[in-house]
Amino acid sequence: MPAKPYLSPEQVRELAHLADLPLARGREDVIMPTLAAWIDDANALSRKMSAAQHQELVPATVFTHAPANEAEQ
Amino acid sequence: MTRSQEQLNALSLSEAARLVKRKEVSPVELVDASLSRIAAVDDRLKAYISVFADEARQVAKAAEIMTMAGHDLGPLHGIPIALKDNVATKDTLTTAGSKILADWKPAHDAAIATRLRQAGAIFVGKLNMHEFAWGGTSDNPHYGAVRNPWNTEHFPAGSSGGSGAAVAARTCYGAIGTDTGGSIRLPSAINGIVGIRPTYGRVSNRGIIPLAWSMDTAGPMTRTVEDCALMFGTIAGHDPEDPTTARVTTCDYTASLDQGVRGLRIGVIPGYFFHHLQPPVLNAVKQALDTLVGLGAQIVDVDIENIHGNISAQLTIESAEPSTYHQRWLRERPDDYGADVRSLLEIGEMLLATHYLQAQRYRTLLRNEFMDAFRKVDVFICPTLPFTATKVGAMKVVIENGVEEDMLSAIMQYTGVPSLTGLPSLNVPCGFDPNGLPIGMQIIGKPFDEATLFRAGAAYQSVTDFHTKAPKL
Repeated sequence: MPAKPYLSPEQVRELAHLADLPLARGREDVIMPTLAAWIDDANALSRKMSAAQHQELVPATVFTHAPANEAEQ
Repeated sequence: MTRSQEQLNALSLSEAARLVKRKEVSPVELVDASLSRIAAVDDRLKAYISVFADEARQVAKAAEIMTMAGHDLGPLHGIPIALKDNVATKDTLTTAGSKILADWKPAHDAAIATRLRQAGAIFVGKLNMHEFAWGGTSDNPHYGAVRNPWNTEHFPAGSSGGSGAAVAARTCYGAIGTDTGGSIRLPSAINGIVGIRPTYGRVSNRGIIPLAWSMDTAGPMTRTVEDCALMFGTIAGHDPEDPTTARVTTCDYTASLDQGVRGLRIGVIPGYFFHHLQPPVLNAVKQALDTLVGLGAQIVDVDIENIHGNISAQLTIESAEPSTYHQRWLRERPDDYGADVRSLLEIGEMLLATHYLQAQRYRTLLRNEFMDAFRKVDVFICPTLPFTATKVGAMKVVIENGVEEDMLSAIMQYTGVPSLTGLPSLNVPCGFDPNGLPIGMQIIGKPFDEATLFRAGAAYQSVTDFHTKAPKL
């Protein structure tokens, strides 16, 4: 079982930097507990969905297409 | 017959609509009754952000004249309705419960507002909500915390908390809410009213401030299933200007309300639906299932192999998508958000693309399993949420064993399934806890089969009276 990830304040600030999000000083302490828990759960879901039996699954979000008969519009 | 304002407020939407058509009640009386009720109770509830007193009275007078001239605008002719404040209404404030949109007056109605007007509805106001719909308490830092009419020390849930409180308190005959992760169903359950999350794509989202594009829906919140079906029929259907809406025909959703549930196959997932919830909620939902069996339905145990893990997928999608929508404001005006919404938006920026896409793949998996199960059941029934209304301001909840849990994750325990799978889901009141706080059950159906949900809910309400109870304000 992979170790539960710990997010340091510096790591939170790096994530914000990657997102080009100017995080106000002190915000990393506010969001870190929830972010760490959600990332932990998201990584667990990613491991599950990476399993061989789910290889054929495509994401639920897909492009929509115009109707074949444009006159229907 | 002259009716008092109290008697007028007590009418259901369907009853009021019938009386208007028979010219036994005037739209002017209905609007006056609604506005008086709002004036009497809303200081305590904070359900409304805007009240359209003058406009509503003008429209009511016009509706009365049309009625007397023999003209019928539609199923909602003369009926006072209120809308959640993330639904655009032309030339009137549409704030989404936010400071950022505090001065926004849209140039156009949302599609749903247009359809309601075309059906004859009279808008009495815009309803308070969780800021930008991103939360489940309706504890709004800019417009006040919405209160539960059953006990104003308790919350109304959310994000359509104002809609839930307004309907329960008899200030309007129906309301519009929006539902991404449960925001119609949760306040419907917590306030003891009916509310439907439609099939994704059944109702247009055009003109509604988005929360999560791939999960957003809009729908009616009312006192009875009949009212909900009536109102739903006026808003359902393809919108050529909203590409997410489906080209699937609608129907008269009131036509089969009295057909009962004999032979209806109700799926339950015992290892998930009846696990980790407060005892009064469990007892009420099990009693409701017994009631439906007594009416001729049958219970079918179902196993959905991959149902566990749905909350993580829900939170990943429901945070990444709003964080994308809010990127500009979050950088330009971070201090104008409430503390909780600001944190959630910042968090959503830091999840990985692979997290998001794995969650979207999980949705495909979960939907496939439910669609497979629908070969042997017609609907699923479960609690709408695992607890009754907590105190206003609470960010934690105790469900069992005295353990405090995070409110946001706990509240989505059951509502996440329809949100992820796109299935329709109807909340129906099914009891009260020992403190008199409402309990709701969720009826989940096949895609575009809202008619069966309404039929099941109407059958249940034909032999129970939870929906007839009113809070004492």
